[in-house]
Amino acid sequence: MSRKTITRRDFLKVASAAPLAGALAPALRTGQATAADKVRVVLVRDANALDASGAPNGEVIQRMLDEAVRALFGETDAAKAWKRLIRPDDTVGVKTNVWGRLPTPAEVEQALKRRVLEAGVPESRLSIDDRGVLRNPIFRNATALVNARPARTHQWSGMGSCIKNYIQFVPQPSAYHGDTCADLAAIWSLPIVKGKTRLNVLVMLSPLFHMIGTQQFNKDFTWPYGGLIVSQDPVAADATGLRVLEAKRREHFKDDGQLRPSPHHIQLADTRHHLGTSDAAKIELVKLGWSEGALI
Amino acid sequence: MPQSVPPEARLLGSYIPTSAGPWLAEADRIYDAASIFDYIDGAGEVYRSYNMRLLVARRFHKDGRPDLVVDAFDMGTSEDAFGAFTHDLDGREAGIGQGSTYQAGLLLFWKGRYFVSIYAEEETEETKALVLELGRAVAEAIPEEGPKPRLLKLLPPQGLEADRIRFFHNHSVLNYHFFVADTDILLLRGTAKAALADYGRGAAASRLLVVEYADADEAARAGASFAGAYMPGAAGRGLSRMKNGRWTGLMVHGRYLAVVFDAATGPEASSRLEAVKALIEAGAWRGGATGRAVRLHGGEEE
Repeated sequence: MSRKTITRRDFLKVASAAPLAGALAPALRTGQATAADKVRVVLVRDANALDASGAPNGEVIQRMLDEAVRALFGETDAAKAWKRLIRPDDTVGVKTNVWGRLPTPAEVEQALKRRVLEAGVPESRLSIDDRGVLRNPIFRNATALVNARPARTHQWSGMGSCIKNYIQFVPQPSAYHGDTCADLAAIWSLPIVKGKTRLNVLVMLSPLFHMIGTQQFNKDFTWPYGGLIVSQDPVAADATGLRVLEAKRREHFKDDGQLRPSPHHIQLADTRHHLGTSDAAKIELVKLGWSEGALI
Repeated sequence: MPQSVPPEARLLGSYIPTSAGPWLAEADRIYDAASIFDYIDGAGEVYRSYNMRLLVARRFHKDGRPDLVVDAFDMGTSEDAFGAFTHDLDGREAGIGQGSTYQAGLLLFWKGRYFVSIYAEEETEETKALVLELGRAVAEAIPEEGPKPRLLKLLPPQGLEADRIRFFHNHSVLNYHFFVADTDILLLRGTAKAALADYGRGAAASRLLVVEYADADEAARAGASFAGAYMPGAAGRGLSRMKNGRWTGLMVHGRYLAVVFDAATGPEASSRLEAVKALIEAGAWRGGATGRAVRLHGGEEE
């Protein structure tokens, strides 16, 4: 795929103090979106989403998810909103993430499962899976996907994102590692997933904002943000989550906050693959609940 | 360790203790460059970029206490063990192996052709002591030291932050440390040898990148590629003032390329490149250092 090379020099042209990572390339773009053009992203937070030990509170998380889905569709009732997402005749795969250090919490999985079942889908046509999706008959025959994973930094892709969460839908994930996972969004055009994703949930309960060592995880670099980012647009959800991670890094490290390596797969999902919207100016961010320490 | 373990893994495993205080080792897990993704997913690309041969992962467990994990990499050469170590230099020197850092329950060190990570799931006074104890034991068990990359000898010592040098082969790793371009405009291709060094700290810091290619022709191609993408207004002058007021300088000499980024003045960039050139020319023992020099001094760009 040919494209114009973006160098450090290009960033210096924009502003001498401009952030330098490719993920910030929207700073190089121009244009303003009207309200009608914007894609909606809901950030819902609750100070009680995690208990004192850091364990997720299932009741609070269910309520947060319901509020987010209601706000996403402008509905007053979560059940009505879910019926706009899922039909009773759908076969539904909930793509989760089992990374041991920071998996999709079971409380999030169960909150999603509960609402999918209430939308009329029988349990026999619902599955929650990650590493086994290619062998899972529900996922192979899915008509609808729900994508849920925690936000975290990543040593090669920059950010563990909703976009990246679909890498298990390819038999050889390393085939998408080129240029620090620049073209992850291409996976979303494969028949097994294309056009099927109804909802993306970027779990921001205790995000990982920095990584060290081969294990990539240290609890010192997580914090109790108590949030969920919910959108039908995975790129917009990720771009919003990235803003939170960068803001946290600015606060913690007192630097420009940029993730390393650059999570440019998010911006390229927009500009190269047209999967969704990465430009904050084109995202309508609806913030609900706990506002202290929201960072964005 | 089971009988089917390859000899190299058996040797590496023999350097790792089977207990750490009251923590006992679980069965080793062994990975190569193809299977490392099964262990650390896409992060394996970092170690693959340093030509990793083998990883022996040994977890230590004690009920009710945080686990400890030793990840011992055979990188094939001491150059690449050093390189893998320089990927993450945060933390304080722990005096283990040929170079080490410790922070927040994580010890990283290199010795010989081995790069070792020892990680406590949670840092406590007890686990910190055990991590360091394990590290010392592994380092002492590895019989031989190895040389750092010879390329480092081309970094002029004046002003050099010697504990902030990175060594790598891959433009994505370069960008991890210092974003240059979103494509491989320096033609590193995963095979060139590159060292990135800081000169000074804070706002006054500049950086020097030195790259060794397979031959002078490849270095010349890389120089032309970089100049075209990064210094298009310099018209072959090799020195360019950026919009932030800082200077970028480029030199190609034989099979070597050097770039100074963010120098405070043009003369600073020039003098550092001249110092690299002098080191190249003084190193006749290396061979291949007597190629054409293409850097020319010039005025400002933009």
